[in-house]
Amino acid sequence: MKRVLLILLITTLLLGCSNKQQAQNKTYRIAVITMMQGGEFWGALKNGARSARSATGSVLEFLAPVNESDYEGQISAVQRAIDQQFDAIVLSPSHYTRLEDVVAKARSKGIKVVFADTSLMNVHPDFFITADYQAIGKAMAEHAFSHFAEGEPIKALVLGSMPNTSSMTAIVEALAANFAKKEGAEIVYATYSFTDEAIAKDITTSALASDPSINLIFALEEYTAHGVANALKENQQVHFIAFGTTQYEIQLLERGVIDALVVVNSFNLGYRAVMAAIDLLNGIKPIEKLVDFDLVTKESMFSEEHQRLLFQTLR
Amino acid sequence: MKSIRGPHSIKTILSIAIAVVSISFTLLVSAILFTQFSSTIRENATVSTREIVRQVNANLNYYTNDILTIAGYARDLAKQTNDLPRFEIEQRLRSIVDSRQDIVCLVLFNLEGEAVLSTSDAKLRSAKEIKDQTWFTRALGGEGNFYFTGPHVQQLFTSSYPWVITYSQQISYLNEGGETKYGLLAIDMNFWAVSELCQNARLGSTGYVYFIDNNGKIVYHPYQQLINSDLFNEDLDAVQEHIFGTFTNTFEGRERLVIVDTVNNARWRIVGVAYMDELMSGLDQYTTVMFLVLAFCIIITILLSRTVSAYISRPIRELERLMNSVERGDFSAPPTVGGNQEVAALSQTFALMVGRIRQLMDDIVESQEMKRKFELDALQAKINPHFLYNTLDSVVWMAEQNNTEGVITMITSLAKLFRISISKGRDIITLSEELEHVRNYLIIQQIRYRDKFEFSISMEAGMENLPTIKLIVQPIVENAIYHGIKYLQEMGHIDIKVFKRKPGAVVIEVRDNGVGMDEQKLSNILSYEGPHHKGGAGIGVRNVHQRIQLYYGSDYGLEISSELDEGTLVRLVIPEQAPIHPIKVASS
Repeated sequence: MKRVLLILLITTLLLGCSNKQQAQNKTYRIAVITMMQGGEFWGALKNGARSARSATGSVLEFLAPVNESDYEGQISAVQRAIDQQFDAIVLSPSHYTRLEDVVAKARSKGIKVVFADTSLMNVHPDFFITADYQAIGKAMAEHAFSHFAEGEPIKALVLGSMPNTSSMTAIVEALAANFAKKEGAEIVYATYSFTDEAIAKDITTSALASDPSINLIFALEEYTAHGVANALKENQQVHFIAFGTTQYEIQLLERGVIDALVVVNSFNLGYRAVMAAIDLLNGIKPIEKLVDFDLVTKESMFSEEHQRLLFQTLR
Repeated sequence: MKSIRGPHSIKTILSIAIAVVSISFTLLVSAILFTQFSSTIRENATVSTREIVRQVNANLNYYTNDILTIAGYARDLAKQTNDLPRFEIEQRLRSIVDSRQDIVCLVLFNLEGEAVLSTSDAKLRSAKEIKDQTWFTRALGGEGNFYFTGPHVQQLFTSSYPWVITYSQQISYLNEGGETKYGLLAIDMNFWAVSELCQNARLGSTGYVYFIDNNGKIVYHPYQQLINSDLFNEDLDAVQEHIFGTFTNTFEGRERLVIVDTVNNARWRIVGVAYMDELMSGLDQYTTVMFLVLAFCIIITILLSRTVSAYISRPIRELERLMNSVERGDFSAPPTVGGNQEVAALSQTFALMVGRIRQLMDDIVESQEMKRKFELDALQAKINPHFLYNTLDSVVWMAEQNNTEGVITMITSLAKLFRISISKGRDIITLSEELEHVRNYLIIQQIRYRDKFEFSISMEAGMENLPTIKLIVQPIVENAIYHGIKYLQEMGHIDIKVFKRKPGAVVIEVRDNGVGMDEQKLSNILSYEGPHHKGGAGIGVRNVHQRIQLYYGSDYGLEISSELDEGTLVRLVIPEQAPIHPIKVASS
């Protein structure tokens, strides 16, 4: 009896100590897989992830293909994360069906998967953090309409980046829905640039040439916006609403080429995605909250709040 | 695993006592050490954190002094426009700015917002845009008035958006016309250069330093992005309450050490925040180690207390076991136990006692045996000397009568009697020898009592060599003659029969027709308790009975029945045993 008590005592003590140590010293390895390596949007996301790393002492590895359209490259990045037995993967899927298998595989291996920004059609992650792209679409449409007088015909060109991502689909849907409600407004043409500046420029040039009545362009991604801007030159006739926070875009905003910049707080996205992964690994339920976004105009760009949003990656 | 409740064993009491005392002591010492250590760690952590914050502040102070020096130099140059051409002044300023990566630009504006001197060739924004900016408006108000902005995006030049901290000061300068004018000197410093001063200061692992202005608004915060996104909250209220100094509070569930200090030159305050749990992480390690050591000590104490108590109590238990075995009657084991002094002494005394008891018991057994033997010997030897005397007297008397034949018979019988009596010292003789002995006795008595009685002796065939203890029949016969036949007027009869009785008994029956006995005499005759008449009837009979019982056990002995004036019947019952050889008798 005594002996049994003694053994119990020892094991409890030892377990107590080792548990405590585990909780303190456990550093999680998290793979952050964005759609591509460059870009302001992804840069800010990675900064957010780094900030979360500093706060928690976890180990991050950033994996991404060179180009957003290279979903194969992203699949192999996820596979690499599985092979290297990361504890969690933060992923922005660049194709809403092609990555399903590899994500399901990661989850089946017990790796926590957090989607940041975009999601998959049929495979669900452990957690999903995104901005409200439907609301963004609505806000973009409403802002665009404010530039036109009542009854004035609105003919829009919508240029997305990747056709098969959940975010693009959501914005395009929201734009279409809001245009359908607005009398005299129509989307003439909606297509995708595959994140290629040159393609975006060509599409814009030829679209404007074939239909000069186009008076509104939406560019749903920064490289696409650059292409559109290159095609527009100093053309102030066409209203232009773009995604992004690049220095070029900000200059265009100041010059009046771009009417409004849509800024999604991707720093926030990255920070919270990594935090959510760590929460999941610690068995805590992450906080459900949409990532904030804002429409920045030339007038509001230097307000304290927008300064921090717009110039977040510029130093 | 004894579940019986009751007095505890010495071992248990000792174990518990030792364990309780040692463990209490260990715990007490640990508690004292822990308290001491944790307060020391806390103190050290506070001191070192305060020192780090002070260091950051000193670095910042050094930096701002540097900027003020540059501003002073620029101010001096601005008054020398008469002596030096504008490009020369700009060149001198530019060389300073170029030598320092942290300074973005230095520009002197007139009060309308137009540049008078500039270290940058980039295209400036419109005067109106510049005049409206905070750093411009806040520095106005008198010569020497200066202002440090918080981090902001520079809005001096078109198409360029660096994050800067602006130092602005109202100064007087000589314009190209030689008039003294008021102007505004602006020095833009790279934000990263300043923030690096703070970021390198690590308080604990996730502690940080931030700045607030005199209105309590955050000027710089390393987690500004998170604060903007509502992912991080700063406890500004507490800092507003504590204008200066060090305090600890709990914010969002974590205990924080907050150090507030004023920043020279700028109207800022520096706030250092460290998390107590991180500062005290050394304590955690210490706690872990201490817990392990404590656990180890407790285990060792328990084991030790068990061992010691077992060592002390083992001899006592051993002694107890020995005592128990002695209690059960086993005196064979040597009752000595090793162990401590007291128990050894106790055990020795006990051993001595047991030894004495054993000796006494042996003595008793021995003396009992001796007594029995003496008794037997005495009983056997009890042939009445009167008989010998009377017999010899009769012989003498017969010799005087010249009754030669009678003398011969008498002496022969006497000789045979004695020979069987002696029987080479043996206790056991055959039945026929025993009967022979009786016969000779009866012959002698017949002669002595002048044919006052007759006798007959018969034995079943085949019983001749059966053993019996000797001289058991003669006393019975003697008794029959002296107490039965002697007082008879008519002819006496003594009949002796020997036969077997089931199961396994031999009966020697002596029947006389003497005066007999009444019931009381009969009941007294075999009992020890009865009144003993010296030389009276019954002593010989009782002796025989005792001898048979001593030798063969209480199943055997005498059976006597008697009736007054009818006679007495005595049956000697002995066990039937294997036949033995008779004593070799020398031919007569």
